[in-house]
Amino acid sequence: MKNLKEISTRLEIAKKKIMGNQKSGKSSNVSSLGKALKISTELVAAVVVGSTIGFLLDNWFDTKPLLTICFFIMGVAAGILNVFKSAKKMQEKNKDI
Amino acid sequence: MTLNPMHQFEVYRIGPEINIDGVNLSFTNASFFMAVSAILILSLLFFGTKKKLLIPSKIQLITEMSYTFIAKMINDTAGSSAKAFFPFVFTLFMFVLFCNMVGMLPYSFAVTSQIIVTFALAAIVFIGVTITGFIKHGINYLELFVPKGVPIVLLPLIIVIEIISYLARPVSLSVRLFANMLAGHTMLKVFGGFVISLGLLGGWLPLSFTVALTGLEILVAFLQAYVFAILTCIYLNDALNLQH
Repeated sequence: MKNLKEISTRLEIAKKKIMGNQKSGKSSNVSSLGKALKISTELVAAVVVGSTIGFLLDNWFDTKPLLTICFFIMGVAAGILNVFKSAKKMQEKNKDI
Repeated sequence: MTLNPMHQFEVYRIGPEINIDGVNLSFTNASFFMAVSAILILSLLFFGTKKKLLIPSKIQLITEMSYTFIAKMINDTAGSSAKAFFPFVFTLFMFVLFCNMVGMLPYSFAVTSQIIVTFALAAIVFIGVTITGFIKHGINYLELFVPKGVPIVLLPLIIVIEIISYLARPVSLSVRLFANMLAGHTMLKVFGGFVISLGLLGGWLPLSFTVALTGLEILVAFLQAYVFAILTCIYLNDALNLQH
């Protein structure tokens, strides 16, 4: 039993240490790299999806290249919207901390 | 031939050819390394939970750490209502992580550098999240495409843009993982080729680059699995709590 008590006190101390480290923001390096990778692809993906939809609709309605251009522009808008959204999410998260 | 940096991504058949209704279902090297990753995960979890010690052994510690890591991630990003999805996110994270890590071993094959594999994973997430949203909110789920406070004149344009941005999710999810793995492995191979062609005299510089890049690639392998899992959680959060 004595051993168990000793372990629990040591656990408490270790937990406090970890909490202290998290508050000073030491562990945020990896996740910010993840965020950077995430945002860069989001912009590209929306443009690709938009243009593809436009291209398919063009083939369907036989209105080349009108819809491709329109949907390309909307795809760019959607990409910027995506980046804007995730940036906003990050800001909100930072406020909590 | 062996110096070709793209040669490592070739999928070839192992064993007999299996053709069912014109669909080629042969066992390939890609399926082999997927099976290896799955077996590794299962054995890790099996041996990690076999002896439930109060003071955990190393393997038990790894198992418990991966459990708490994912459980905390789900709780932080998607809230407690997403706890039911823990098995799904955990499986996804472990599978992507182990496929990436197994791909880092010499003479192995990086399954996640095939876009069809990553796209299949992303499509499962996308379809699952969409179905979850419709089950939870019914037709109200479509409100996701209508932001609040937009003038009616602009609404048709905004809805189309929102739908495109929603459809871009699986594409960005799959392309991110695929591109990172493909680029990393190609770069490693190119630098490895430099070592051979520069020989004993000049080969030391690219060799040191290869060592550094291997470290970076292991970081990227973990990071991409993490990003894949956390984005799944964020999409689940959108579907469960109906946020923009």
